[in-house]
This record gives sequence, structure tokens and C-alpha cells, in this order.
Amino acid sequence: MSVTVLRKPSAFRKKLNKIWTYLSKPQNFILLMLGIILTVTTVYPMVTILKDTVSVHPGTVDAAEDAKSAQFEVLGDDYTTFNWTDLFTGVNITRHGRQRIELSVAKTYLWTPLLNSVLISIFACVGSILYGGIFAYLVTRTNLKLKKYLSSIFIFPYIMPQWTLAIIWRNLFFSNAVTGGSDGLFASVLGVNMPQWWCEGLFPVSVVLALHYAPFAYILIGGIFRNMDANLEEAATILNTPRWKTFLRVTLPLVKPAILSTILLVFSSAMGSYPIPHYLGLSTLSTQYVGMRIDRVGEASILAVIMMLFGFLILIVNQKTTSGRKNFTTVTGKSGQSSLVNLGVGKYILSTVFVLTTLFSGILPIILFAIETFLPNPGDYSFLTNGIAGHLTTKWWLTAENVSENGIYGQFGILYNSDIWRAFGGTMIVAVCCALVAGTIGTLVGYCVSKNRRSKWAGYVNNVAFLPYLMPSLAVGIAFFVVGSNLGIFNTFLLLILAGTVKYIPFASRSSLNSMMQLSGEIEEAAIIQDIPWWRRMVQIIIPIQKSSIISGYLLPFMTCLRELTLFMLLCRQDLIITTLMDYFDEMGLYAFSSGINLILIVVILVCNTLVNKLTGASLDAGIGGK
Amino acid sequence: MKKLLALALVFVLTMSLLPIAMADESVADIIAQAQTMTNEELYKKAIEESKGKTFNAVGNSSRGKSVLPLFIEELQKIDPSYTLEFSWQQPKNNNIFAQLDADVNSANHEISMTLIQDGNQIQSKMLDTGYLLNFVPKEWAEAEDVAKENNENPLALQTLNKVFMFNNLGDKTYTNMWDFVADGEAPLFMGVNSEPVGKNFLYMMTSEKYSNWAKEAYEAWDGKNEEYDALIEDMKLDVKDLGLTAENANYGLTWVLLWCDQYNQETDDGPICNTLVTKSAAGQTGLLVYSKLRSIEETAESSVNNITVAAYQDGYTGIGGYAYKHYVMLTKTSPLPWTACALIAFMTTTSEGFYAWGKDMGGYAPVAACMQDHSQDGYVDGVNTYDAKNDRGYDWWLNDGQLVVEDPAYCASVSGKMSAWIDGIVAGK
Repeated sequence: MSVTVLRKPSAFRKKLNKIWTYLSKPQNFILLMLGIILTVTTVYPMVTILKDTVSVHPGTVDAAEDAKSAQFEVLGDDYTTFNWTDLFTGVNITRHGRQRIELSVAKTYLWTPLLNSVLISIFACVGSILYGGIFAYLVTRTNLKLKKYLSSIFIFPYIMPQWTLAIIWRNLFFSNAVTGGSDGLFASVLGVNMPQWWCEGLFPVSVVLALHYAPFAYILIGGIFRNMDANLEEAATILNTPRWKTFLRVTLPLVKPAILSTILLVFSSAMGSYPIPHYLGLSTLSTQYVGMRIDRVGEASILAVIMMLFGFLILIVNQKTTSGRKNFTTVTGKSGQSSLVNLGVGKYILSTVFVLTTLFSGILPIILFAIETFLPNPGDYSFLTNGIAGHLTTKWWLTAENVSENGIYGQFGILYNSDIWRAFGGTMIVAVCCALVAGTIGTLVGYCVSKNRRSKWAGYVNNVAFLPYLMPSLAVGIAFFVVGSNLGIFNTFLLLILAGTVKYIPFASRSSLNSMMQLSGEIEEAAIIQDIPWWRRMVQIIIPIQKSSIISGYLLPFMTCLRELTLFMLLCRQDLIITTLMDYFDEMGLYAFSSGINLILIVVILVCNTLVNKLTGASLDAGIGGK
Repeated sequence: MKKLLALALVFVLTMSLLPIAMADESVADIIAQAQTMTNEELYKKAIEESKGKTFNAVGNSSRGKSVLPLFIEELQKIDPSYTLEFSWQQPKNNNIFAQLDADVNSANHEISMTLIQDGNQIQSKMLDTGYLLNFVPKEWAEAEDVAKENNENPLALQTLNKVFMFNNLGDKTYTNMWDFVADGEAPLFMGVNSEPVGKNFLYMMTSEKYSNWAKEAYEAWDGKNEEYDALIEDMKLDVKDLGLTAENANYGLTWVLLWCDQYNQETDDGPICNTLVTKSAAGQTGLLVYSKLRSIEETAESSVNNITVAAYQDGYTGIGGYAYKHYVMLTKTSPLPWTACALIAFMTTTSEGFYAWGKDMGGYAPVAACMQDHSQDGYVDGVNTYDAKNDRGYDWWLNDGQLVVEDPAYCASVSGKMSAWIDGIVAGK
């Protein structure tokens, strides 16, 4: 007779078993893996850029100062404290000009750009929320006219690369008398010279950013307005509460999460915007960073670190103001009794107002882009006063060689320009890959976090996945530029896809998390009882149920990648993707090329959006615009 | 067994390091060999090396894109089946240095050669670090009538000029360099941190030779007054703070101060030119690349005749603009070094190779045989129709036109302090 002796397992064995049990659940294993991957891809670039702030850069001021001053020798030949010291406490430079103004290094390179960056971010938030929020309310909760048309047109500025509106602004409002140079359309056609503050600086930058991000506010706030339980407002009405009070006490608190999420996202996006301040003449952290890369590379990296600190700050604010199910696109439950506010005659007036404003922000740019591609010289609108003959040309489209002088600065026409089409292909590769990777990882993050709501690790993964989106794009771009240069993958699709994926995972993770939270655990549990493997539960149950949200998680990174410049501008040479090439043409003043590309880009985005909408029901403004 | 393992390890290590050592030496070796070869021999080497491959280059001039098809045609005369895909890019905002740096330090080297400007940065960031290597073609070194001084190391493809122009439809006249910085003027100019050769020009204005020119022009200026006198006197303090040593540096520095305070920043010379030629830009001024005039299409609104090149006027006093150079060099990690050498030889020693630059005014090759005459570019059917396009040539510009010529050594010596001084003024506008 044999005797089986049961030995007490060792503490190590117990721990191992515990880990094994924990990891045998797919959501836990995936969460662990994602946590590690996201930590590396998010934190490593930040550490790298921090290191860059104390590195010596050959041919720049830190190398010169480090070499001649014993003060900075403590860190050795390759590292220096000069950049930090100089940027914050740099010796004052006195300008003995007409006004004898005292200037310091810190004021020139840091404080003034920082103040401008913060101001444009605040104004962009206020502007986008007011414009986008009011529009969202009118479209979802009133009997405004032309809802479907306005809803479609309203998101155009978000589809277009952001600096195109800045170029339009210049073309419209610049004048010889005020800004110098030639007259824009307003001055030449209407004879109106807009004042300097209107043409360049804080005001136009804020307005253009607000217009660009208003669709963002519209989509986020509109989603809540649409799903809001009308019973709450109706109860207030029954209790004879004035309409304004109902709005302030009932409606506004309900959309507060969406307003907060708009503020957080727009603030960081506006702060990291490079092209709009660049074209409209405002010194911000982003423009200063680019300018300082000539001889103050290390100090420029400090600006990037400061932008990143804002990202952290926003993350903390986000944590404080939202939690659990209150996160972002919170749905408070659907009411079958949604009633529309009757605007009376206001429905015509307000729709006219929005037709006009969207005409400026959505339709006019497209018309001007189209016209620009047929002008004989960039910005030369001779045909308006002298007729079409001899004052319009197809050379920007049809020139098939670049040896003889054709008045297009040695370029091939758009249809024959292999750079343009190759860059377009590059953009599609980056956008598709980013969408697939970011969409998949984001969906998994959403799924795993929803399954481990109380886990601290899940909270960490959720935050680390969301952090890059709260970082200004330029800061993320700078971090990946430094990483890419160190790893030898500069100007590769790999680097762009890596940066794009990390930056856009939040689109998918937020969308996925919100939808997964709404999903009852019983649905999956029923499948678990029947011993259905995890992948089949995902493919056959979870994904089909939340198809629309998950596809949105793929669609948003795709759309955003198509028109992204700031994130990618430092990571590749200009002809790898279409937005960097467009920016190059704009810088060169070859607006016909950039306008033509813009038109093509807008068409592609609209076609993709429509296609996905038809196939899956998901779309950028689906479910809001009066549908 | 252990010995065998150790030997194998040493072998593997040696083999893995060998390509790195070879790669570093091979480009320099190839250059050394290439410098002894004729153009035709180089072309044959290029065919051998790059047939059917892709050639990548970056340059501060977009015209490199135009020369590559001609280069391929030249090679096809030797081997009709020769093909070459190419990418020629013109990075903006000083990105060319970052791109070269990144490419040289990348595991995947793509850039074979560069056409680059800004002597100041080239010296400190590219030559001192060994990232770029100089190649002087045999036929260039042995050519007749070649201006070798300041053009050989690094090898200059051309000297370019940026010149003062103004729209002549207004009532204003600009007959002195100080007119461009007089009260109320806002000359169009590329941002100093967008194109650093502009900043180099400003540094050069404080050197002995050019600050003397600034003083002479000021003395002859009809806008001279007590206020400017006081300002010039006051600037002696800045001269001292900035460590400038030229006797009349305060004149040059005053001009720089006024220029920085007043210039109207544009993203490129292209938009400046497109603006200046229009009717509505009456009375506007600019400092821009002369050759940009080539691409203007005559319309009711825009005309080259709306432009006057300031230095072409009789009685104009002071500098007419500034000159800087385009250098051609190989990256030390050039993946196609023979092709790069052959292309550089083609560009710098033949009129076909220089055609992309030589066909228009404003670019001057060191080898006289490469140059074309542009003194009558503004003639249409024998009639002088667009006078601004009639280029008076390199010698005229250097002497009569009083171009300020970039000196990398001087720029490097003053840029440390002057750069922040200029940035401060521009930021404080």
C-alpha cells in the first residue's frame, strides 16, 4: 500500500502559482504586456529628451561654453549643465538701441514664448468650446434648420491640416498698408485693411486654433447632448423652472465631463501647435524650439521638457476631475422622450449665421485651394479684375518636365510629380499602420482595464496609454526625434508609425474603455461557463457588440494621421509623407502645390469617412448631426 | 574547446566590426581615388555602382532635382541601359543639419551627398565632426580660369547673391543702403533663424570691411540726422559688450539693429518675390535671392518691371546685397560614393552639370567654362524688356554692387554673443 505524502508548498511555489493563476486570465496577461510596452514607448523617449538637455551638442553654444568654462566641467566632456543655467539665468543682454530695453536670455527664449503658448491654449479652449458647444446644442437639442448640411461642413476644419486655415487667413486679411507686402483679398477686392492685431499674433492664432478644434468640442459635447436624458430637463420644465436656469443647473452639469475633456485635449493640442503660430507670426514654445535648433539645441530640448510637464499637469487635472465611469464621453442613459427646443424665427437666423461661419471655415478654403492651383503666380488673382484669359493656367497640374523654366520653380506639375504621389503613398502606409496598431492596442487596453477596474496596475496602464495624447504633439515629436536619431531609425516609416501609434492609442483606448464599461460582465461570463476560448469570445461576442466604438478607435487615428504635421515634422525628410511635403510647399510659397494636395487629402478623408460610415455606421460626426 | 570558442568569438567580433571600420575608411578612400580620375572614369565607376539603384541627396537648393535627369542622360551616353531613381530634397528651417546628423548616425544610411550652405554651421557641425567629406574633382583642380580661392575646401558649387530690390510703383526712392532701414520701412526678409545665412550676413556687417562701407554710406545718406548720429554713438556700448573689434563696427551694428527691428519676416524668398512684383506692393522693399525673378509669369497684376534692383541704379550708395556659397560634399557614410563623386564632378566642371543653376542670373560658378552670360536675360526679341533680369555678373556684383561676402571664420568668432543679441531684438519687436 502506497502512502502519498502531501507536502506544504513553499512560499516561492505559492507565489509562482498565484502569478500563474493571475496571468492565466488573458486580460491580466495582456495588461501586463501592454503595461511594459507602453512604459517603454512612452517613458523612454521622455528620459531621452531629458538626457538631451544636459548633452553637449557640437557646433552649438553649449559646446562652446562647456569647452571654455570650468564651471560646467562637473559632468564631463559629453554632458553639461550650461543649457539649464543659461536658459533660466542667462546673462542679461542690454540693447542700446532707441529704447534701451533690457532683455534676458530667459525672456527671449522662454518666458515670452511660454506666456504666448499658455494664452493661445486658453483662448483656443474657450473659443472651441463656445463655438463647438453652442453648435452642438443647437444641432442636437433645437429645431435648427439645415442640421445635416451644417453638421457635415462643421467638421471640415478638423479634417484639413490645421495650418491651411492660417494660410487662408493671411491670403484674406494681409495688406500692403498694415502687414507690408501685397494686398490680400479683403484689401484688394473690398479695399478694407484689417488692423495689425487682427492679421498677426495672438488673436488670429487663437481664432484659427479655436476654429480648428471646435469640431472636436462639437463631437464630444454633441455626443452627450444627443444621449442626454430629456426627462431631467422636462422635470425642471414641469416644476416651472425658467429655461436659462434649467440650462445652467441641469443641462450644463451634464455636459461638464465633455467640456472638461475638450479643455484638456484642446489645451495640450494648441500648446504643441507649430504651424499656425509660425504662419501667423507669434513666438510660442513650438516656434521657439524650431528656431533654437541652430545653436541652442540643448536649450530647445528644455522647452520640450516644459511642454511635457504641461502634459503631466493636464493628466493630474484629468485624474482629479474625472474618475471611473465619469470619464469623458459619459453617457447618462437614453431617454425615449427627447424633445427639441423650438427656436422660432431664430432657427432661420442661427442657421444663416452658421452657414456663413462654416462658409468661411469650411467652404471658402476649399474654393480658394481650387482656385490657387490655376493662378499664374502664387496669390496672383489678376483674373478677378482682368478676366480668365491669360490669367489662369493649368501649369501647376500638367507640367511634365522640370528642366526648362516653366515658372514653377523646377517642379513637376502635381499630376506628374512623383514626390507628391510617393509621399501620398507614405502617408497611407503610416496612417493604416498607426490605425491598425493603435486601434488594436487601444481596444485591448479598454477591454483589459474594464475587466480590472479596481486594479492599480490597470489604472497605471490606462494613464500611461493616455498620457501621450495630453502631451503637446511637438514634445512627443521631439522625444521620438531624439530616440530615432539615437537608434538610427530617423526618416523611417517605423519611427513615424511608432510615434503615431503611441500618440493615438488614447483615441482607441478611450473609445474602447467607454464602450466596454457599458458592457455587462454577464455576457462574457456566459461564454466562459461554456468554456469558449478568449479569442472566440472577443471575435464573436465582444467586438460585434461594440463594433461601432471599436471601429471609431481605428478610424480616428487613421484620419488624424492623414493630416498630422507637428508630430511628424521632425521625424522624417519632407517627402516621406504628404503633410511634411505640403508644409514645404507652403514655406516655399508654392501654394498651388499645397492647395492641390490639400484638396486631394480632403477628398480622401471624406471618401474614407463615408465608406466606413456606410459599412459600419461609425464616422466622425455620426450620431450627432441631426441623424 | 575553450580556445576554440574564444577564437570563434574573436572572429565573430572582428567580422562584425570590420564593416564599420571599412565603411568609415571606404568613402574617404574612394574620394582619394576619385580625385585622381577624369570625369569619364568617374562616370564609369558611377554606372558600375548605382545602376538601377536609388540615389538620395539633400540640398539647400531645389535645383538639384533638375540636374539629376541630365546626369543620368550623361551616363546613358556611356551605358544606354543605365537607370537611376533619385530623391533630392530641400529641407527647410535649418533641418538639413539635423537630417545629415541623423543620417550619418543612423544604421540605415540613405544620403549620399549634400549641397549645403551656411559656412558657420558647416564648419562646426559637419567638418569638425567629420560628418561631411570634401571632394575636389581632377578636372576642377586642373581647369583653366578657375577661382580657387575660398572655393576649394570645402568645394563651392557656386556663389549666390541676395540683393536689395524694391517695388518701383510707389513714390519712394532707395538710393542708399540706409534707405532700407529708415523710419517706417519694413523690408521683406527670411527669418534669421529660418535661413541662417541671413544671420551670417548680419554678423558680417560688423566686420572691418563692411562696417567701413556702412559708415561711408551713412556719411553720404540724405536721411542722416542727429537722432541717427546719437544712436550710432550709443551703439559703441553694444560693440564693446559684443566683443566686436572693427573700428567702425558701431555703424554696421546700428544698421543691423535697425534692420532686425524693422524687417518683415517671410518664410522664403519665393513668397517675397511673388509679393514684391505685384501692383499692390507699391513701395515695398526686400532682400532676396536674385534668381527668384526667373519664375515670375507676367500678368496684369504681377510684373518683373514692377521691381528695381537697388544696386543697378546710378548713384546708389552702399551694399547691394550679400553673397553666400553652396558647397557640395559627401557624407562620410555615403551609400553611393562613386556616384556622388561623379555627380559632383558633373555639376562643378561642365556647363551641362551646372546648367540647372547657370541657366539663370544670380548664381556664379568658380569654373568660368560653366558660366553662362545673363547680361541680356531681360531682352525679348532683342529689346530690353525686363531690365531687372539683366545680370551684371559676379565681378560687377562683388566690386560695384558691393556684396557682403560670408566669411565662416568671422561669423563663428562673433556668433556666440551676436546670435542672442539679434534674437532678442527680433523677439522684442
